[in-house]
Amino acid sequence: MTLLGGHNHVDFSWSNTAIDKGTIQFRIVEMPLRPKGQDDPASVVRPDGKVEMIRVITVAYPPGENALVWDVYAERPFAARIRISYLVANLNRSFSYRAVAENDESTLTLREYIRLDNLSGEEFGTSGIWAGFGNYFHREVGLNEAKQMLISKFTEVPIEKTYTFNWWTCPPVPNEPDQRYVEMRYVLVNDEKHNMGQFPLQFGKVRIFQKDGHGGEAFIGEDWGRFTPIDDEMKLYLGLARDAVVNRKIAKNVRHRVNGNLFNQELVIQYTIENFKSSDLVLDIVEDTNRLRDQFGGRKNHDAEWELLRAGTSPPGNRTERKDSTTLECHIPLAAAPKGDGKVEPVVVTLHIMLKNEW
Amino acid sequence: MRATRHVLRLALLTVAAALFAAPGLAKNIDLATVPPRDSVQLTIYNSEDLTLVRETRSLTLKKGINRIQYSWAGTLIDPTSVDIRVTEKEDQIEILDTTFPGDKPQHLIWNIESKIEGQVRFQITYFTSGITWSADYVVIADPKETAMSFDGYVQIYNRSGEDYENAQVRLVVGVVNLVEKIQDLARRGIQVPAPQTAGYARMRRQVMKEAVADFDRRDEGKGRAPEIVKEGLSEYFIYTIEGEQTVPHDWSKRMLSFSGRQVKFDILYRLRPHEYGPRPVRFFLLQNDEEHKLGTTPLPDGLVRTFRDNGRDGLAFLGQQSIRYVPIKEDIELNVGTDDELVCESKRLGVERFNFKFHPVHNYVIGWDERQRWSEEFRNHKDKPVRLEVRRVIDGDVDFKAEVAKLHDYHTVEYTFDVKPGTRFDWHYEYVVHNDANARQSRIMLKR
Repeated sequence: MTLLGGHNHVDFSWSNTAIDKGTIQFRIVEMPLRPKGQDDPASVVRPDGKVEMIRVITVAYPPGENALVWDVYAERPFAARIRISYLVANLNRSFSYRAVAENDESTLTLREYIRLDNLSGEEFGTSGIWAGFGNYFHREVGLNEAKQMLISKFTEVPIEKTYTFNWWTCPPVPNEPDQRYVEMRYVLVNDEKHNMGQFPLQFGKVRIFQKDGHGGEAFIGEDWGRFTPIDDEMKLYLGLARDAVVNRKIAKNVRHRVNGNLFNQELVIQYTIENFKSSDLVLDIVEDTNRLRDQFGGRKNHDAEWELLRAGTSPPGNRTERKDSTTLECHIPLAAAPKGDGKVEPVVVTLHIMLKNEW
Repeated sequence: MRATRHVLRLALLTVAAALFAAPGLAKNIDLATVPPRDSVQLTIYNSEDLTLVRETRSLTLKKGINRIQYSWAGTLIDPTSVDIRVTEKEDQIEILDTTFPGDKPQHLIWNIESKIEGQVRFQITYFTSGITWSADYVVIADPKETAMSFDGYVQIYNRSGEDYENAQVRLVVGVVNLVEKIQDLARRGIQVPAPQTAGYARMRRQVMKEAVADFDRRDEGKGRAPEIVKEGLSEYFIYTIEGEQTVPHDWSKRMLSFSGRQVKFDILYRLRPHEYGPRPVRFFLLQNDEEHKLGTTPLPDGLVRTFRDNGRDGLAFLGQQSIRYVPIKEDIELNVGTDDELVCESKRLGVERFNFKFHPVHNYVIGWDERQRWSEEFRNHKDKPVRLEVRRVIDGDVDFKAEVAKLHDYHTVEYTFDVKPGTRFDWHYEYVVHNDANARQSRIMLKR
């Protein structure tokens, strides 16, 4: 702007765009300064003893108009670069991801995109665009235009493919009252060890592809990726594993009276697992002890108190862990189905749980 | 001095009224209208829609009874508050009475008896609604977030139906008691001002520009924002804006009230699920005092918009919040939202119940204790240390076991950690809740 010496009236107006009037800031990019003079009142002197030679005196807001008038005082004529900042509505950003897994599903390439939807009613010429992390862009954003930009690309990200059986949350298998489907997920860890961990991953849709081994890619599903801080896991639901079959039954349900109406409830849960896949896998069995208690000990408001008496596997080789006060997880390695005419040998897992001090 | 458009309209109306009214009057009594203002002062309150207007006008009196008309059509003046006082030659001039004609709303006639002839200065005061003011603040933190600029603004809104040109403006911070709303008193039996057309708005804008140009020509300009002088008065604080301001009807005007530069501040993260939700929230903490380059005035209620200089010649918007009145030396807390780089995970590891009490006759459980074990992990992915203050509310009769905790109140524990940059910090705590018949109190007892 060319400012004349003295008072300058700078009009700023807008239409068809939702600018928050109260957020408009008028700043001089390179403020000309001079030493403090004898006549300068304290209010214009900065802490460093300098006086700004261009000053905004007042802002006036005319009625019924999306406009304002700055009264800007310049001590002498200046060609000044000014920066006007404001908040505008309907210029929205969202994030999405494209994950391409290798054919062997050991690693994937993850691309994170930012999408800008400009419904603000205003065109933006060459604009700096930054999500607060990742790449910084200079782009033009036209009216009603959407622009998608690659923020970051992570290559060779190790992935873990999980198979989860949760009686309480997995979908039931039609006509099989003792079965639930096994759910599959990719698990990505947002840390440096997994070639990520530069910044938190924002919430957004993740489209997942897998290389088909012939130079192409197959779409294998999509999921919403939750906001994932550094060092956290992003779990992406892939769908149902039809080649891993789990039967669950309650093999024992005995109530032991302690005193009065106080009792312990002893449960033995048995899982019979068959892996028809041609590769090994680890199945995660998840039990919710509150739901178990509600079913066998009566619905209560308090958390179940419980103890795992024994976790047995035939053949042996499980790892059981208490995830938190209500979650028990058992990790079962399953061998691939035998080649040729060999029969799939079921693996039997037994969890012996005591629900304590219920009434 | 150029009269305002409204005053001109008022004058035409009253002259016409005088022409029609005159034949019915005694021959030695004339009906005159109030001339334009010599000066005007607005004292605007922010706790109520209330402005005290004090204007001075010079009336030309003749000896004997003078009938002076005063009208305020299209404005929001409270007629019960209109008062006139002579400010010179008081012993020779007497205000006999004030008449509010029944046939004309927003109109009055003063009967003034004068023993002298000539020009006399009067002061007219009244309350009007429709003029308000508010404070707001703009905070810009430096890229390293160690210091900030803290600018306070005042904005005046004029929706009173009247233009006020070259007015001395005073803003009052404080709460006053009103038994009736001024706007209700003003609107009794009258039409409120109609919305203005775009053309009319353009004309007003031109008026404003001319007024601003007038302002430039006066000495008060001097190329600096009008200084706002702050002074305490009883329970109130009065801001007097230096010079004179022109605020036409429907306009608003914003001025810098104070400017703090290189204001140091501390950053504290707070995890208070019951207040701020499940994630830690970041606060900029400072005081309204000299040490923080502030403290020249209490901060009136207002909106604070907080930005950070993003180091790329731009601003990042951190958030906005309303603050309540901040006295001098009081703390200022600016909530700038959650931080993706500080992660807190809380997990209940287990529960145990024990110490059961049974009904003496029916032998069912009437009381028990429950021990809960928790773990918390804090991960600081920032490149600077983080101080985190956690408050957790636990209701009931609770024994809380943790070395570092202290009580915030009877059912809230508080603990504070410093988490080094790029590290994670774990800690565990447990507590026992005494339930039903075992409960003797409703409070937390700390156990070391």
